[in-house]
Amino acid sequence: MKKLAVFLLLPLLAGCSSITVLDPKSTTGEEQAYLIWFSLGLMMIVLVVVFVLFARFVIKYRYTEERKNDIPEDVKGNLKLELTWTILPIILLIVLAVPTIAITYNQSPKMAAEADDGIDIGVAAQQFTWTFSQPNGKTDQNKLVLPEGEDVTLHLSSKDVIHSFWVPALAGKIDAIPGRTVTYEIKHLQKGTYRGKCAEYCGTQHTNMVFEVQVVSKKAYQKYLKEMK
Amino acid sequence: MDISLFGKTINLPSDVLAAWIFTGIIGIVLVVYIWKKKKLPVIWEYMRTTNHRKIGTLYILFGFIFFLRAGLDALFIRSQLALPNNDFWVFQSQKYSEVFTTHGTMMIFFAATPMLLGLMNIAVPLQIGARDLAYPFLNAVGFWLFFAGGMLFNLAFFLNKAPAIGWTGYAPLTGPTHTPGVNTDYYVFGVQISGLGTILTALNMMVTIIRHRAPGMKLTRMPLFTWASLITSFLILVAFTVLAIALYLLMFDRLFGTNFFTTNGGNPVYWQHLFWIFGHPEVYILALPAFGIFSDVISTFSKKRLFGYPAMVISIVMIGFLSFMVWAHHMFTVGLGPMANTFFAITTMTIAVPTGVKIFNWLFTIRGGVIHFSTAMLFALGFIPSFVMGGVTGVMLSVSAADFQFHDSYFVVAHFHYVILASTILGIFSALYYWYPKITGYALDEKLGKWHFWLFLIGFHLTFFPLHIAGLQGMPRRVFTYDPGEGLTAINFIATIGAFTMGISILCLFWNLFKTHRKAEKVGNDPWDGRTLEWYVASPAPEHTFDPMPIVEDIDPLWVAKRQNRPMRTTDHHRIAPLSKSSILPFVMAMCLFLLAFTMIYHLYWVSAIAGIGVLACMVIRSLTDERKSFYRSINWL
Repeated sequence: MKKLAVFLLLPLLAGCSSITVLDPKSTTGEEQAYLIWFSLGLMMIVLVVVFVLFARFVIKYRYTEERKNDIPEDVKGNLKLELTWTILPIILLIVLAVPTIAITYNQSPKMAAEADDGIDIGVAAQQFTWTFSQPNGKTDQNKLVLPEGEDVTLHLSSKDVIHSFWVPALAGKIDAIPGRTVTYEIKHLQKGTYRGKCAEYCGTQHTNMVFEVQVVSKKAYQKYLKEMK
Repeated sequence: MDISLFGKTINLPSDVLAAWIFTGIIGIVLVVYIWKKKKLPVIWEYMRTTNHRKIGTLYILFGFIFFLRAGLDALFIRSQLALPNNDFWVFQSQKYSEVFTTHGTMMIFFAATPMLLGLMNIAVPLQIGARDLAYPFLNAVGFWLFFAGGMLFNLAFFLNKAPAIGWTGYAPLTGPTHTPGVNTDYYVFGVQISGLGTILTALNMMVTIIRHRAPGMKLTRMPLFTWASLITSFLILVAFTVLAIALYLLMFDRLFGTNFFTTNGGNPVYWQHLFWIFGHPEVYILALPAFGIFSDVISTFSKKRLFGYPAMVISIVMIGFLSFMVWAHHMFTVGLGPMANTFFAITTMTIAVPTGVKIFNWLFTIRGGVIHFSTAMLFALGFIPSFVMGGVTGVMLSVSAADFQFHDSYFVVAHFHYVILASTILGIFSALYYWYPKITGYALDEKLGKWHFWLFLIGFHLTFFPLHIAGLQGMPRRVFTYDPGEGLTAINFIATIGAFTMGISILCLFWNLFKTHRKAEKVGNDPWDGRTLEWYVASPAPEHTFDPMPIVEDIDPLWVAKRQNRPMRTTDHHRIAPLSKSSILPFVMAMCLFLLAFTMIYHLYWVSAIAGIGVLACMVIRSLTDERKSFYRSINWL
């Protein structure tokens, strides 16, 4: 079913492949992009129905000189019609809810640090820099190097106010909150250099709290880990 | 710019200086005008009034002034963002943060909410056949509290101390450690005082609608705007109380070193819960009255009864109820866990059902009618497709895993501007054109109205449609610039053009107001061939209305009477109407609270204490006065 939906939306996708979020570079991001497309597709049905009815009614029933003295028929309502537009949206929403629940359950950031597989990366946010620590203890500021094809588990924390870790090309954002650690998993990264940003307003230099993510080959990653700490 | 004053050097940025000069000029012009035209008695009258129409007018007037201020902020924001790495005037980092904070806070608390309250004040009593609100004195208190809060919040800018925290004021950024200056205190106290006024007005509205309906006006015959006002008032009562508590706790954190929202024993996420338990219903506090306006306007200008009246009422109630169960959808990225993220995704989707019902019922009200494209109706018609566009992105946002991408990006900015502008702002404009004869006795010019409508609608879509893509392209909200290489330049430039188009449309409205009052052409009681009771009274609505009291026998009583070519039946037997007597106390009370808050901000607690005693004294005086005494005497009750 998933494939079918993607297939149907393919022509649209082609037109928008340059939009960062819709051209994701990880499995996690792909699932999110799929949900975006899927919900947009369902919602287009609603949009088209409303627009068509609206245009038809406004044109057909507009005031004209001939209708000057028309008094419209006194209609109170229509139970069948009203039930239709109550029940159909419910069905539409159930269709939307199924993949939503499935993917959300999988992806939601968790409070407790659980034993996930994948590479554990520490993300410490502070006005207005990011400090990333690798499993071997190596830290780097505003630069995160990750190996291609692997899964990573981010452990986010903040030293002062609330920040939010966002690499639009990879996956959705996750807040870094003082006094707690939140974990978030991004699966199967693809090679490339991506822009990362703080997405929660954290002070007047919020705009400049940016970082760079480099997803490199495994070999290059190992080399990076061994470089001077 | 540095200015030397009494031996002290004051640093005054050029935007603040410009504001002082601009306000000074306007002030002088106003004073001269008032003096020359001998308008002082009018001002004195309005300061003391407790009449619902006059207070409603004040609400709309000051709401509109604050709307202009917040709109100007929006133009500054858009000018700064028009080009990548732009340096527009002073609006970078600190100043940019101030300007988006003011824009959001002013639009929500000091523009949209009060303008809607003003419309309720004017229209609700007229729609249900009440001579005034149940508590006219309280009504004045409510308005002057809003006024005091709004003025306090604005004062911050003129003293170059505007808050820079975003309208959501997330802790711990708003705590004493991270924003130690008085800037954030202006936000806390300004919003607190005006929120208090809003709660009082909501209580007043509830009692009025429940107690003071005309004979025969059953709940099931109330116009939709009155229904929406009733439900909105319940929402305000709960939501604004939560906000008041949140602000109160934040005030303690800031002034007295408590730790409710710090990591030192408290929790910053508590603020988000409290804020959004207020914040989400607030969205519906803004939208529901607009829904009511559109229901009345669409029915009037289609010459047709509202389609599915019971469903329309039930869906308002459902939306109001559900609005309290969705707050955590603003917090999907906080890490509340998969369970909460799923639960709030589902409840959020549910709201789409009653909202959808309303959309289709509006469409089917139009169907079979004779649509008159007056300006009021154009705004209502423009609302339907625009709001549906905002509604569908709302459903998309409820998909929590997808929201990880949307959250705090320009996609969200586009979404909430779509829903709030399409419902609240188009609703307010629609209501302005619709009820203007009832407020002033004049009808606004239709030709200029159409210019206003089309420019606004085109500007609105031009601004906010591209911003969806900006969000998906990776632009977070509340940033003051972006890189040329991010593919955001064209999008932002188009959005800026759109924003200025909206600005021009507001100039059309100004010209319209000026022209209409220049012409001063009275229209009759019923310029739109109306359906409900407000078109039965004179335009502008006099202080003593509904004498004799009409009997209501239908949802559209006036329409039915007109179709049957008979006058409305009237009666002398009805509940005793509230008595509205002028008093300066509400104004004095609000000014005392203003002083209290202002001195609290600067830790001058002994002055605050005196101001507090002033408020208390006003309450005592009020408790000992009974304006109904003479009335009771006249009917020998005393």
